[in-house]
Amino acid sequence: MSEQAVALNSGSSSHGVGTASTRGKWFVRLLFAPTLVFLILMVIFPLFYSLGLTLTDYTLGGGSSPRFIGLRNYVELVRSGDLLNSSVVTLEFTIAAVAIEMVLGILIAYALNQRLPGVGIIRVLVVLPMMIAPLVVGYFWRFLLDQTFGLVNWSLSAIGLQPVAWLVVPRNAMAAIVLVDVWQWTPFVVLLTLAALGTVPDDLKEAATLDRASAWMKFRHIYWPYMRFPVLFAFLFRTIDSLKMFDLAYALTGGGPGDLTTTISLLAYRYTFLFFKIGKASAIAWVLVIVISIIVNILLQVLMPAAKPEEQVVSTGL
Amino acid sequence: MIADLWSKARQSLLFLSMVIIGLVFAFPLVWIAMSSFKTRVQNFALPPLVIFQPTLENYTGLFQLQNPAFMADYRNSFVIAVGSTVISLVMGCLTAYGFSRHEIKMGGCLFGWILSLRFFPVVAMVIPIYVLFRGLKLLDNHAALIAVYCIFNISFTIWFLKGFFDEIPKSLEEAARLDGYSPFQVFYRVCLPLVRPGIITAAIFCLIQSINEFLLAMSLTARVAETAPVALAKLQTAVGPDWGKMCAVSSLLIVPILIFTILVRNQLIRGMSFGKLK
Repeated sequence: MSEQAVALNSGSSSHGVGTASTRGKWFVRLLFAPTLVFLILMVIFPLFYSLGLTLTDYTLGGGSSPRFIGLRNYVELVRSGDLLNSSVVTLEFTIAAVAIEMVLGILIAYALNQRLPGVGIIRVLVVLPMMIAPLVVGYFWRFLLDQTFGLVNWSLSAIGLQPVAWLVVPRNAMAAIVLVDVWQWTPFVVLLTLAALGTVPDDLKEAATLDRASAWMKFRHIYWPYMRFPVLFAFLFRTIDSLKMFDLAYALTGGGPGDLTTTISLLAYRYTFLFFKIGKASAIAWVLVIVISIIVNILLQVLMPAAKPEEQVVSTGL
Repeated sequence: MIADLWSKARQSLLFLSMVIIGLVFAFPLVWIAMSSFKTRVQNFALPPLVIFQPTLENYTGLFQLQNPAFMADYRNSFVIAVGSTVISLVMGCLTAYGFSRHEIKMGGCLFGWILSLRFFPVVAMVIPIYVLFRGLKLLDNHAALIAVYCIFNISFTIWFLKGFFDEIPKSLEEAARLDGYSPFQVFYRVCLPLVRPGIITAAIFCLIQSINEFLLAMSLTARVAETAPVALAKLQTAVGPDWGKMCAVSSLLIVPILIFTILVRNQLIRGMSFGKLK
């Protein structure tokens, strides 16, 4: 609880002099200190510890104490192709899943943005998948996608299509993961887009209809300005969450067949609990952290400029 | 005339698509619930049975299960979720209020950093914490997992509640100060009651997140503090494709989440995104 970390805003206690403001100071420290201490202990410290670990050859249960080996972990990871494979898998998954979720999500939001009876119930139903544990979703979709007994293949054959070997054939396994992720998270995009569509004023919509605007014109000039922010938010959140996806792959395919659906998180997990190579596992994890940080920053730069014009207007007093 | 018919047709089409959409997202859940009441043999029936004699054997089997001890794990999930939620709410309320009312050096950066924890890959936390806890012999106990869950629950609570605190007019607090309330009393007696709906909602979100969490639970617990999702994962390997049991466990994990979801349905966007959207 260092004195420098917290500076009291004396404006809020301008009546207080002497004891009142010292009480105020203690109170502010109480507000921030426990959380900061906790987070430093549980987040900052382990993070830097793990960064240090990436530079050692620490192996759990290896007997000898870890030696400093510099960047060799990173080099070996690149050379072994594991990191490359997982990166490709993760990127493939992210691009496919996010693209489908965004398009489907917006379309479904449009369809649900009606004042029809029962829309309220449908909206609650639609929201359920994303609230369930991804692990649980992964496991029960494994049941649904079972080659012989699963509901999906039976439905396919019932309408005359060929059943698919979902989880054992490489391309299909990736398709399966994307499919399940789309099922679980399209509702997220739907939710955000629906909320955005709800903020469009009725008179604008009516004016457009009166002026015989086409659906595309309506979308571009009326709906999109209101949708832009939430949709970009949905895009940001889904992208980051897909990059760090773990539970779903673990449950649905276990990373298989082989390592064809082993995302980066799953790879780091394997190196930790299967191979016990803590040094390498930490390196993998840190690569992911850095990649995500970069992408978050890029995407936020893209989003934030939207706020600036408004800020400029406000600051000129208009 | 034609225009009327066309509009009616459009309406019906939209209604139909609405129903289909609802079914697509809800039906798998219904199917899983139904399958939990089928015997092992019934689950392997082709074509899949829609009409069948329901049985409770999957659920009663769960009670008797030793490895994994499912009922104990299920209870652990709730104990840990509640424990972490309570602590996170206390700390989160205080700090959210702090961010809302007090300017501190680099406060914007700090707040941004706390927010960014949401984007942090859990696996990067798991590895050092596992190594450290292992060394400190802190593995497989409730307190350890509660503490780790607090990381994410506190950061969520802070961000979520700051918005609520922001909405309280400063004049209310100033009036209370003039009445002789200490800063803490202003917080405790005036502001806190006003954000109660936010606190309840934040609590529910924290509970949902804690119950659903898997990677940390699997890595940091073994027998004593194991949670339900870990039990589900273990079940898959232990009994092979016993779909009935798997569906029963899934249903038991879905039902509380369903109830919680209905409770927070109006705040879902705020809870799942940045909440800047009004």
